[in-house]
Amino acid sequence: MTSTSATEAPRSRRRIDGWRWGGRIFLVFMLLYTALPMVWMLLTSIKSGFAAMQFPPQWWPNEPTLASYQKLLDPQNSVGQDFLRFFWNSLSVSVVTTILAVAVAVPAAYAFSRFRFPGRKFLFFAVLLRNMFPAVIFLVPLFILMRWLGLVNTHGSLILTYLTFGLPLAIWLLKGFYDNIPYQLEQAARIDGATRFQAFLYIVMPLSVPGIIATAIYSFIGAWNEYIYAATFLTKNEQLTLPVGIQRFFSENTTDFPGLMAASFMMSVPVVVLFLLLQKYFVRALTEGAVKH
Amino acid sequence: MTIHAGHAGAPRKALPPRPSVLRQMWTSRADYLYVLPAIVVMLIVIAYPVYYTIDLSFFKTPPGLQLKDKIFVGVENYTAILSSEVFWKVTLNTIIWTVASTLIAFVLGYAAALALHRDFAGRAVLRAILIIPWVISAVAASYIWKWMYHSDFGIIGQVLVQLGLTDRQPNFIDNVHTVLPSLIVVNIWREFPFAMIMIMAGLQTVPEQLLRAAKVDGASAWQRFWHVTFPHLSGVSTVTILLLAVANFNSFIVPWITTGGGPSNASHIWITHIYELAFGRQRWGVAAAYSVLLFIIVMSLGYFYVRALSGNEKKEEGP
Repeated sequence: MTSTSATEAPRSRRRIDGWRWGGRIFLVFMLLYTALPMVWMLLTSIKSGFAAMQFPPQWWPNEPTLASYQKLLDPQNSVGQDFLRFFWNSLSVSVVTTILAVAVAVPAAYAFSRFRFPGRKFLFFAVLLRNMFPAVIFLVPLFILMRWLGLVNTHGSLILTYLTFGLPLAIWLLKGFYDNIPYQLEQAARIDGATRFQAFLYIVMPLSVPGIIATAIYSFIGAWNEYIYAATFLTKNEQLTLPVGIQRFFSENTTDFPGLMAASFMMSVPVVVLFLLLQKYFVRALTEGAVKH
Repeated sequence: MTIHAGHAGAPRKALPPRPSVLRQMWTSRADYLYVLPAIVVMLIVIAYPVYYTIDLSFFKTPPGLQLKDKIFVGVENYTAILSSEVFWKVTLNTIIWTVASTLIAFVLGYAAALALHRDFAGRAVLRAILIIPWVISAVAASYIWKWMYHSDFGIIGQVLVQLGLTDRQPNFIDNVHTVLPSLIVVNIWREFPFAMIMIMAGLQTVPEQLLRAAKVDGASAWQRFWHVTFPHLSGVSTVTILLLAVANFNSFIVPWITTGGGPSNASHIWITHIYELAFGRQRWGVAAAYSVLLFIIVMSLGYFYVRALSGNEKKEEGP
């Protein structure tokens, strides 16, 4: 590509337009593929059970109703009681998991990034490999382990398990962040009399806030959406988290589609809002941590 | 993998003598404190289950979790698996599921990232909408699609009927021929955003000057993509494909919630099959043997995964 031919310019501009139009059409297609199921979920959730099951379908409900939401959010009736309890369980498990994941991942990622201790590489790969193991392999042994620890039917069993599946990516993301923070900054602080820990706390930590936020979102979403361990470790109704609770409830009430869609919608709201608010940190963390080297 | 320090003493004569591993470990003992919490949790939750699963795979187990009464049977569980027809059926399903989901999700995500790279009005909103399926719970996603595929009231079938494309409501997920493709569509819906985010992140590192220089030199849009952008993204692409492949190979919720593996095993993949063997039919020993086989496959995928991830690290560590 050493020759410079300015004469080609108009033709190539026309070609770019072709690509641009192709891109637009493609994006419209992706928008429909992505959004229509979610739109249909919302439309179904504001129908009555009768209106949801009609042919030809009612696109926009003739009589939109919030009855399903009222039922799910009403602490007076048993359905609402259960739903609110599941919601609270999911929230508390996810928040505790997130806090612990950040607390564990920050020092580990820092160490993997800065120190050169023997076995460092092996440990790092061991952490990454955890990502690759399917949950099913661990279910039976973990169930027995949890029984031995007395954690079956407690949220502790879930938090401990979620920590491990969230940690590998968390550590990997954060390590990328620390790799990009020049070590000289810390050295300068230490010359000025700061201890290694102080340098870490006052210099490195503030710079890695976007990475920490990304780690936190990742852990929270992972914990909030997890199904298989929760379905195995928890048997008592009052302990269930949302995904399992909803699955159990609707395996008994198989035709309440508006209710199911309303529950699915409300289960999605917290993670979607959280993600939309903080997505720039997440994308930035991926750029810094995972892509740039 | 401990080459770095583990085997430092022995073969390299040219190097000055280095302190022994134990001494190195002792001098850097404080460093281990930082990784200790992570390692302890990992050991409890990984090492023990792996050991346990391998052990259990050599036993015949009674139903229920009364595992004290297990009987040693050697490799009988393994031979039983490899000689069963279901095994090959499920393996074929898993291959189709993993390959199709991974490739299509990757291509769609890649294309979406490229199309979103140029600034236009509403780009941020569009990007946010495209990411949502990846964020929402897989259980919710499964129910949404299960409802849309419903054999009587599913909207997809009703639209097809209204458009006159079929005269009867098609039965997407109760039909052995259509169930797997239908579920792959759901899976791709959930996963292409991940590829999109990764590639979007990668695109930001493609040097703008290089693209401009190519343009000045008269390279067409395709040539600029193929000779500049594409090679630049090969690292991210490899990692993304591997992560997607592993996630798809390990996926469970979508097939389990929508069909439970049916009809007649048509949508069973390895994980759902193992889960059913263990928790449905309580054949713990066979399920454990399956898990060990799975483990071996995942480990060999893991080899490539680790190589792709550490490729970058080697460069940076240099001399």
